[in-house]
Formats: sequence, structure tokens, C-alpha cells
Amino acid sequence: MNDVLIPVILILLAPLLGGLLYGFERIVKARMQRRIGPPLLQPFYDFLKLAGKRRMMVHSAHAFLGIMHFVSLWFALAVLLLGGDLILVIFLHLLSTSLLILAGYSTRSIFSHLGANRAAISVLAYEPVLIILAVSIFMLNGTFDTAAVFTSSEPLLYKMPLAFIALLLVLPIKLKKSPFDVAEAHQEITGGVELEFSGLFYEAVYTAKWLDYVFCYTLVFLFAGSNILLGAGLLVFTFLYLNALDNSTARVSYKQMLRFSLGVAFSLAFINLLINSLT
Amino acid sequence: MNLASYRKKSPWILHYNAGGCNGCDIEILACLAPKYDIERFGMINTGNPKQSDILLVTGPVTKRSRERLVEIYAQMPEPKVVISCGACASTGGVFRGMYNCEGGVDQFIPVDVYVCGCGTRPEQIIDGVVQALAILEKKTKELEESVKLKREAVKEGHQLNRRHIADEIKPVLS
Repeated sequence: MNDVLIPVILILLAPLLGGLLYGFERIVKARMQRRIGPPLLQPFYDFLKLAGKRRMMVHSAHAFLGIMHFVSLWFALAVLLLGGDLILVIFLHLLSTSLLILAGYSTRSIFSHLGANRAAISVLAYEPVLIILAVSIFMLNGTFDTAAVFTSSEPLLYKMPLAFIALLLVLPIKLKKSPFDVAEAHQEITGGVELEFSGLFYEAVYTAKWLDYVFCYTLVFLFAGSNILLGAGLLVFTFLYLNALDNSTARVSYKQMLRFSLGVAFSLAFINLLINSLT
Repeated sequence: MNLASYRKKSPWILHYNAGGCNGCDIEILACLAPKYDIERFGMINTGNPKQSDILLVTGPVTKRSRERLVEIYAQMPEPKVVISCGACASTGGVFRGMYNCEGGVDQFIPVDVYVCGCGTRPEQIIDGVVQALAILEKKTKELEESVKLKREAVKEGHQLNRRHIADEIKPVLS
């Protein structure tokens, strides 16, 4: 009973948790730059304001794709938390990202197209690493189910530390953090794929960003197994690492990003897979 | 708890330079820096007209930038507020009467708050934005009432069209 109840509560509260996480992250980032920063509930204030704006859309399919991006991302998170197939989770996440990319291509704005191109390249950069990660977990556990990982007493971190490092290297690409934020690049292409969304429809994309935080941190938590204390430690470490990296680095071009992620992160994950399959 | 009262805590700002000397722009960027840090009021410099509430215009409107100005204004969803930032944006300033300048911003789009100074100080910009927030709240209420009571839609200023502005450009030397 308990092992179903907690994931269900987590799934229902996921946007709320993600919003709080995002608000807290903005404060931490501001403090790192010696600013005061916005209040903790700032994302929710933004949410309320966006709901009151006039509803403008480019065309109905564009708005629909934006909303479906949110829905499918929530679904992917639900499958992950309920202990579903990890490969399925990764492909559901890919589906939700590709819906957003399609939305980007469906408008006539060049910035939107540029953002969609770059988002597609980012998918190319992080997706192979995640797949290798899932395969390594299969090699260890004999199953793709995340339920087996969540309940195993021996944390994955000790068995596959290289894969954890590879995940840390691709997480900034997934969360669109500097130095790998070419897909979003607010100063350059003003948000990329989310450029043409406004009002209520931007809200779906904005909230999906919070869900993405919960999704990524759950992936990190996967490495702790049933050891909750270690999991909390990993979450705090990843949070600080991501924010420090975001604040201290400048954006690299998409070619450098692709070279780094496929060169370094992918090979780390692959070596890890080889070690796992040999032992 | 009235949820609607929290709406004014997240004004997103769009900054447009209509052809000035960058003096006011630097001061706007100074507002974002650690000393003034307007992000603590929830303000973000978005750079995207479709998601912003406040349009901060600096510089006098030149003949080439006026179409863009109206275009950007038209792309912002209501409720929206325009602040003209600095002497040039408000009246034309030292550029007034020059062959390539049209003068103040208010000739083309309705302006709600005028911020004086050449260049404006960050304190003045923050004060102007705070005044704009009250206007934004008022406009939001008006819009909501017109929806609730099924009244005629609120018309903000004159409904401007890019074509109205565009057909006036004539060659200077003939």
C-alpha cells in the first residue's frame, strides 16, 4: 500500500514541488551573485499573472502541442515514479520534448525555428547517454523496471559511479543550464521554442519546466536505491553543482556541446557499461 | 486570501531601444545588477513581447524604428503598460527636430508613465515601474469587468496598425 501511496502523492504534487524548487533555485542563484533574489513563491506569482493575460495564440495546433508537452511530461514522470520501464520513461520524455520541438517548427518565427533546431541537437546530445544508463541498469538488475532500483538495498552509485558522472555532465543540457543552454539562450534567441507561446499557453510550457526539474532530480535519486539519506545527499549535491555551474560558466556553441557530450559523457557511460557487463 | 492580489508581483519587462545613445539602457541594466536588484520584486527582463507586461522604451523614435516599435507594442498581450524612459523617449530630447527623428514615443503608442532625466537614474526607473504597476492593476481590473459584464471590449488608446505608420516614410532628399 505504502509503496503506491507515496509515488501517487508525489506525482500529484509534482508541479507544486517543481515550482518550489524553481523558486528556491532562483534565490540560491541570486545569493551566489550577492543579490537578494525574488521571493520563494515567485514562480506561482508568475503563474497567477500569466493566467490573467489575454489569450493569444499563433494557431491552435501550436497551443495544443504546448499543452500536450506538459501532459506527456507529467505522464513520463508518473511512469518513472510508479516504477515503470526505464526505457519507456526515457522515450516518453523524448516524446514530450519532440512535441515542443514540433511546436517550435510549426510557427513562422525564425527564432522559434532556430530554437527548435537547437533543442533537437540537445536531444541528440543527452539521449544516447540516458539510453546507455538504462542499459547499464538492465545489466545490473536484469530488468528495466525502476521499481527494482527504488527497492534495492545496495545503491546504484557504488556499482556505477562513472554513469553518475556521465549523468551529471548531461543534466545541464537537459535542464537548459549554462554552459549548455543553447536551446533556450534567452539573450540570444529569447527562449527558442517557447518564444511564440503567450498567456495561458505559455503557462503550460512554463510549468513543464518545473516538472522537468522533478524528473531530472528523480533520475538522480535513482542512484541511491532505497537509501533515502544518500538520496537526499545526492539531490543537494546535484542542486548545488548545477547552480554553481550555471552561474560560473558562459554558453558554448552547439558544436562544442555535442562534441563534449558525445565525446566525454557518452564514453564515460559506455566504459561504465563495459565494466558492468564484464563483472 | 485573494489570489488576484499576487498578480502584480510578477511584472515582466520588455526593453526596447528606439534609437537612443544607450545611456538609459545602461541604467536599466544597472537596475538588474546586485546594487538595485529589481528581481526581488519579481521583475525579469524577458526580451519577448508575447510574454511581457511592461514595455520600457528608451531613446527618440527614429524613422526606421517606429514600425518596429508599433509592431512590438501590438504583439504584447493585454493588459500592458508603456513606460517612456528618459528625456529622449518622452519628448525627443536633444534629438528633437533632427531629420532622422520623429520625436517622443507617445506620438505612436499610448504612454502611461514618463520617466525624466538624461540619462535616467536607476532609482527613477524603479519608481516609474512601481507607478506602472498600479496602472497595470487598474487595467487588469477593467479588462476583467468588461469580460464579466459582457460589455464592449476595452480599447487601449488607438488601435494602431503597422501599415498606418509605414506608408508615411518618404525619401529625405528628392
